[in-house]
Amino acid sequence: MEVIKTDFILNTVRRMENDQSKEFSFGDKKSLVEKLAIAFINPKDFDKLNLSSKPNLKISSNFGIIIVKGIADEDVPEGTVLMPISIWSNQITGVENSELRYKNMRVDVDITEEKINDLNSLINKIKEA
Amino acid sequence: MKRSVCSGCSLLCDDIMVKSDGIYIDEVFGACLKGKEKFDQVTSQNRILSPLIRKDDTLQKASWDEALQRTVDLIKKSKKPLIYGLSNSSCEAQLKGIELAKLINGFIDSNASICQGKVLDNAVNSGITLTTITEIINKADLILLWGSNAAESIPRLLNKVLFSRGKFRMTGREIKTLIIIDPVKTASFNTMGVRDVALRITPGKDIELIKVLKEECCAADSIPSEGVAGLDKDDMKRLLQHLSGAEYGVIFVGQGLLTPQKNSNLINELLELVQMINIKQERGRITLAMMGGHFNMNGFDHVALSMYGKRGNLHFKDNQILETDENIISKIENEDFDCSIFIGTDPISHFPMSLSSKLAKKPIILIDNRNSATLQLASIVLPTTITGIECSGLAYRLDHIPIELKKIINPPSKIPTDEEILNQIIQKLKSDGGN
Amino acid sequence: MELYKYLPKTNCKLCGKTCMAFALDLLQGKVKADDCPPLLEPKYKKQYETLKELLGSEEGVEKELRINVDTDLCDGCGICVTICPVNARYCPPSLSGKAPDYPPEKHQLFQVKGGKCELLELKYCRRIEAEGRERECRVCETYCPREAVKIEYV
Repeated sequence: MEVIKTDFILNTVRRMENDQSKEFSFGDKKSLVEKLAIAFINPKDFDKLNLSSKPNLKISSNFGIIIVKGIADEDVPEGTVLMPISIWSNQITGVENSELRYKNMRVDVDITEEKINDLNSLINKIKEA
Repeated sequence: MKRSVCSGCSLLCDDIMVKSDGIYIDEVFGACLKGKEKFDQVTSQNRILSPLIRKDDTLQKASWDEALQRTVDLIKKSKKPLIYGLSNSSCEAQLKGIELAKLINGFIDSNASICQGKVLDNAVNSGITLTTITEIINKADLILLWGSNAAESIPRLLNKVLFSRGKFRMTGREIKTLIIIDPVKTASFNTMGVRDVALRITPGKDIELIKVLKEECCAADSIPSEGVAGLDKDDMKRLLQHLSGAEYGVIFVGQGLLTPQKNSNLINELLELVQMINIKQERGRITLAMMGGHFNMNGFDHVALSMYGKRGNLHFKDNQILETDENIISKIENEDFDCSIFIGTDPISHFPMSLSSKLAKKPIILIDNRNSATLQLASIVLPTTITGIECSGLAYRLDHIPIELKKIINPPSKIPTDEEILNQIIQKLKSDGGN
Repeated sequence: MELYKYLPKTNCKLCGKTCMAFALDLLQGKVKADDCPPLLEPKYKKQYETLKELLGSEEGVEKELRINVDTDLCDGCGICVTICPVNARYCPPSLSGKAPDYPPEKHQLFQVKGGKCELLELKYCRRIEAEGRERECRVCETYCPREAVKIEYV
């Protein structure tokens, strides 16, 4: 099958559902995945990527790779991926000139059948890196 | 029912009402969902109620004496300790944090330095016109949200600044203009009326917009020649008209402006633009307001400034402050630390992977009230109270006004406050000093 | 102004007002066609019947006002509490964007409880109480950032 790979701009944001004081205060590891391991893209991109055929998005930047659930949101402009700030989105953010880079980053977006990374695997990854 | 202060975010609403018998919180009136959830944290299942120590790679319950002793031992072994966080603590705790840093020759910084503190950093170059919430309510006729989604980050902000009826703005919403510059159509866009201006900018092009605005401001007839950054000519014209015609305009600086674009300093450019408009404009002025997530984001800067005459990070060596260009990011990036103390923050999930993996290699002491990604990697966890609900203290609002937080209920199982924990560590370090 | 056409248009003021004012009140259901004495006279019989028919059909359409607040969407920002003109009149704190006092004033429409908006008393809503253009108020629906407030007629 043809591999579809597209250039996107990644923006990480704080939404009502994932503000600083809330993130880990409620829910368990499973509900955290539902709440935070997500990425919003424009419905047109959603169709272009043929996302409904495969469940998840693989987003890769210069700093890392993460697999999250893709959600269509018409408020997001085309060519942009929106992710809530969390341990998931921070797998692909990084540091440049001693400044955090977490907005307007170039990323590659691809569809995948691989499973969404869970919290424990990310923590282990951080531990072992 | 008395009115009390909400510590949900840096707006520190002083008008919420809490129904409580001093033990439990029955109901909260007037607070937004974010504030309400802060109160819900008191009984949250992820609350930490006893000190934890890592033994055989798992966190196990420990006594306070043991946990404190382990903390002190760790700190004494450390040559270059790092203290970070404190934006969810009272100013009193921040003062103790600085005292601890001084005692252990540590580097201390707060969450503000990677967030809204950047605005103040640049104020040195171009000056800054700040304002207060009350001034905005009474005078403002132009509210500009630039790269910030106020409706979700500080839910009650628009309610207070845009929909209120102030002394000189009695007709309320009708007389106030809202401009939003954001690439994404956020929830804040829904609060717009017919006269308001919605600008969907191309991501990462804010710098171009500011530069064009600056040029146009200097021009004799300020009508832009062409559109820029995904905005068309009409948009530009309306934006310029509003900016230069406002009697009292406020720009809310959001996270979208705090990241550098194309190696140029956005905030600096914006401050210069504001200054240019204010010089040119005769009948009004433009001011800036900052938005913080953590409720006492501005407090640390004020405490550090009043104690040591330096805003932001402090690096101590033999009771002296070292002049340093370093910040928390460069410290971690260069692995210039051997032990880290985090107070009321979750850096493992908030920092990029490259930084959190470096943090994980060194022992972590966590002082916090809830489960977090940092807790999963911490060596010692000391539980603490929720400031503003279970203990009182001073906090600085987003417009740099000090607000006194009141205790509403007693903390569970006699958990100490941030201030008390830091003080106990200091006292223990001092008394053990001879060994 | 459909209704005005079928009134006697004599401005006799037997009902206490001009025919135009009577037509307006008729539209809002404050008076009935029977309240106009000349209209009951035989020479206006045809007009009276048409009027009855018009009003009758409108009464049939008349639906009950509902304001629905979707508590799943609502984030308790309190914009509806502040912007509501009825709240502004009876709860002075809401003028400056503050939460109204508790217990709520009897006219108060909205309050924020437990981080969610709650509808208290619909009776005093402008869509029921007010006259003329003020009756067309729907600010709570227009400005809700979460689109949680919906005005409906059921």
